[in-house]
Amino acid sequence: MKAIRRAASLAAALLLAGCAVLQPGTPPEPSRNTAVLALLDKAQAQSSAGQLEAADASLERALRIEPRNPFLWQELARVRLGQGQYRQAENLAAKSNALAGEDKRLRAENWRLIGQARSRRGDQKGAQAAFERAKGE
Amino acid sequence: MAKRRRPKKRFLISFALAGALLAAAYTVYLDFTVRARFEGKRFALPARVYARPLELYPGLQLSPAELITELALLDYREAPQPREPGTYHWSSDALDLTTRPFVFADGPQEAAALRVEFAEGQVSALIDRGDGQSLQLARLEPALIGGIYPGKNEDRVLVKLDDVPGHLVDALIAVEDRRFFSHHGIDPRGIARAVIATASGDGVQGGSTLTQQLVKNFYLTAERTLRRKFTEMVMAVLLEAHYSKEEILETYLNEVYLGQDGNRGIHGFGLAAPFFFDKPLSRLDISEAALLVGMLKGPTYFSPRSHPKRALERRNLVLAQMAETGVITEQQWRSARATSLGVVARPSRGTSPYPAFLNLAYRQLMRDYRDEDLRSEGLQIFTTLDPRVQHSAESALSKRLARLEKNRGMKTGTLQGALLVTSTQNAEVQAVVGGRDPRFEGFNRALDAQRPIGSLIKPVVYLTALQEPQSYTLATLLDDSPLVLQQPGTDDWAPLNYDKEFHGEVSLRAALVNSYNVPTARLGLALGVPRVMANLRRLGIERELPEHASSLLGSNALSPLEVTEVYQTIAGDGFRTPLRAIRAVLTAEGEPLQSYPLNVEQEIEAAPLYLLTAAMQDVVREGTARELGAYLPADLEIAGKTGTTDDFRDSWFAGFTGDRLGVVWVGRDDNGPTGLTGASGAMTVWADMMAGLNPAPLILPEPENIERVWIDPVSGLLSDEGCRDAVELPFISGSAPTEAAPCGPRSLGGSIKGWFERTFGR
Repeated sequence: MKAIRRAASLAAALLLAGCAVLQPGTPPEPSRNTAVLALLDKAQAQSSAGQLEAADASLERALRIEPRNPFLWQELARVRLGQGQYRQAENLAAKSNALAGEDKRLRAENWRLIGQARSRRGDQKGAQAAFERAKGE
Repeated sequence: MAKRRRPKKRFLISFALAGALLAAAYTVYLDFTVRARFEGKRFALPARVYARPLELYPGLQLSPAELITELALLDYREAPQPREPGTYHWSSDALDLTTRPFVFADGPQEAAALRVEFAEGQVSALIDRGDGQSLQLARLEPALIGGIYPGKNEDRVLVKLDDVPGHLVDALIAVEDRRFFSHHGIDPRGIARAVIATASGDGVQGGSTLTQQLVKNFYLTAERTLRRKFTEMVMAVLLEAHYSKEEILETYLNEVYLGQDGNRGIHGFGLAAPFFFDKPLSRLDISEAALLVGMLKGPTYFSPRSHPKRALERRNLVLAQMAETGVITEQQWRSARATSLGVVARPSRGTSPYPAFLNLAYRQLMRDYRDEDLRSEGLQIFTTLDPRVQHSAESALSKRLARLEKNRGMKTGTLQGALLVTSTQNAEVQAVVGGRDPRFEGFNRALDAQRPIGSLIKPVVYLTALQEPQSYTLATLLDDSPLVLQQPGTDDWAPLNYDKEFHGEVSLRAALVNSYNVPTARLGLALGVPRVMANLRRLGIERELPEHASSLLGSNALSPLEVTEVYQTIAGDGFRTPLRAIRAVLTAEGEPLQSYPLNVEQEIEAAPLYLLTAAMQDVVREGTARELGAYLPADLEIAGKTGTTDDFRDSWFAGFTGDRLGVVWVGRDDNGPTGLTGASGAMTVWADMMAGLNPAPLILPEPENIERVWIDPVSGLLSDEGCRDAVELPFISGSAPTEAAPCGPRSLGGSIKGWFERTFGR
């Protein structure tokens, strides 16, 4: 289910990235830099193929180009979640939040990631609080 | 009689048998040694250390000149048709190049023929010259910046026989061992010559085949006895029995010693070619090959750098022997003989052009690897060094220090300095300069000089206060009147401000912006020294420091590296990432061994850190670092802090833009006074360095619980936009003052006055 949702949101993001020029008013695309978009794309493909270390490397390349891009930090949090590094996932999602500014959608997703990370390391109460924050965004 | 002879005969037979057995056992032993050494680790291969690879993409801030500088670092050469890997060609509007294939930590990358177009100081387009398609991204191979060498500091670049020019092999055979391809490890005629020479009292000498020379280099000491000579011959025969001529020759070419570069021994032709001619072995011409082969006889005696005349004679002798054996034509001989030595002049680079950075990388590697593995396994180390940033940092430091000395009438060479540059978000170390001579391999001030940090501690004191929004905000008034701290057993402590004045009541923001000592000390004492020091540890200092009242004004000594750790966490929005000099390590074969993934740890909440950073931007806008405006545009919104210690012994500046953090220390090795403040010394170095790097503006993301309120700075109370001197300050939600100043929004006079001023201007 999650995979489908992720794939759907990925597809949506890519579609939006492609159509952003045509459709003003749509949520912001992850970047205006085509190199960053290409690397994010690659990282997401690597993630779906289970190549998490490769995805990590691609995201770090992208982050060197746009170090303050919250979408990249969020994707890195997702990779760490997949790697079972829950505390890191939580910290990286928090980092994404710190850079997210007004983007409520992004913040909500970060709180969901934080919730998942907490839940998987057994902190159900903390997870619940994070999911509440996600709803509140 | 016959009876008697029998036992003697039997004895002789058994003696002979035992002898044969012993000889056989010895041979088996030698055989085992030869094979084990040849099969196993033939060479101790130093770890090779690479800079970051340059990523090219449309929108990258990069001039054609900067790209060409990078290509020079990679030994690219100009060619009218740059089809070969490692070549480029610049035409009026674009740079065509062909990259070399390279194995990165994330996999191999093929050679690519690219066209890079530029516009307005940026890369405007990137095109694959193969199919004409535009590309989003291309990565150049990284520059080799040094090695971590075996104990004897042997360096080599392994080559395959196929990559060795034929004329080099021809020269070698002609001079050293003409019957190499026909003998079986030893050359009887050579031995005969050697025996006669030895017997006639000329000492043990000559007659060695290439195989014997290899054996000698490989397994034996320089001892010259007949027994050693015999062992050498047996081993040479054994080597030939097991391995092909090609394998032996290839190993020989990689083994031999050919020169010295500072403390680094140059081994093998693969390294000697770039060392002497600045080009790969495959591209050596006949005369160059002959020169190297000639040097084998005595690399120091025939060194073309120290003894060019001798080297030239020796080279011509080699050329003559090549002509004599017919491997070159008469014509080739004539023209080769007429060329100059062709050796490039270059300063000794020792083990790296960036010893201070390599030093940091080595220390980080030592956490995960054994020293001997770093020096022998041929590991490939991918670092974060950015040569462009490094060069900018080096030249800023050395030029500015020379200028400061000149302008202030100081003795030349008395000032020293160090600096580090990192990227603010991922904590990669882009440059390390350990002193004004960046090539010097000795004392690395960036890592090892520990100096009192003075006012660089203040942001930590103020951060500790701002973490208590119910007690402290940027508008809180602090007491700047004489302070005497009396503690039993110590002298009274009475800190003074830099201007030797007291300013009455000053806002917390103003106290930081103007770097006032007295209110800082009073604030720190109210908060408690241990709490401030605990925050310093959270920000990145891992060792225990003495905790005194004077710690609040920076009496503790830290290295520039440690200061960078602390400011890294501030520049990284409160997220701590230990500084990283290494990205990944691969084995000699290109297998990933270890990566150092980006990890962050939130140490400081977003809101207080935001307030602190906003105040540090004011330090540059209007405070002790305002002179920075003379060097860099104001819209970069740089955040920074100056630091000056007693009697002007240490001059510090730590500051960050949207993308980079730089920490600079300037002072003297003998700890004498320099007369420099943080602003007049270290900050000018920082400014020169950043000016060359297209800094990104620092646009702080505002945390959600921040509100902006107009404040009367004198009273610290609520004011209004139109009121005189009112400033708009950020507050953590709910912490802003509620009481209004006379011109505040809820005061009658204020609202009328405010309305008046808004309507008619001031």
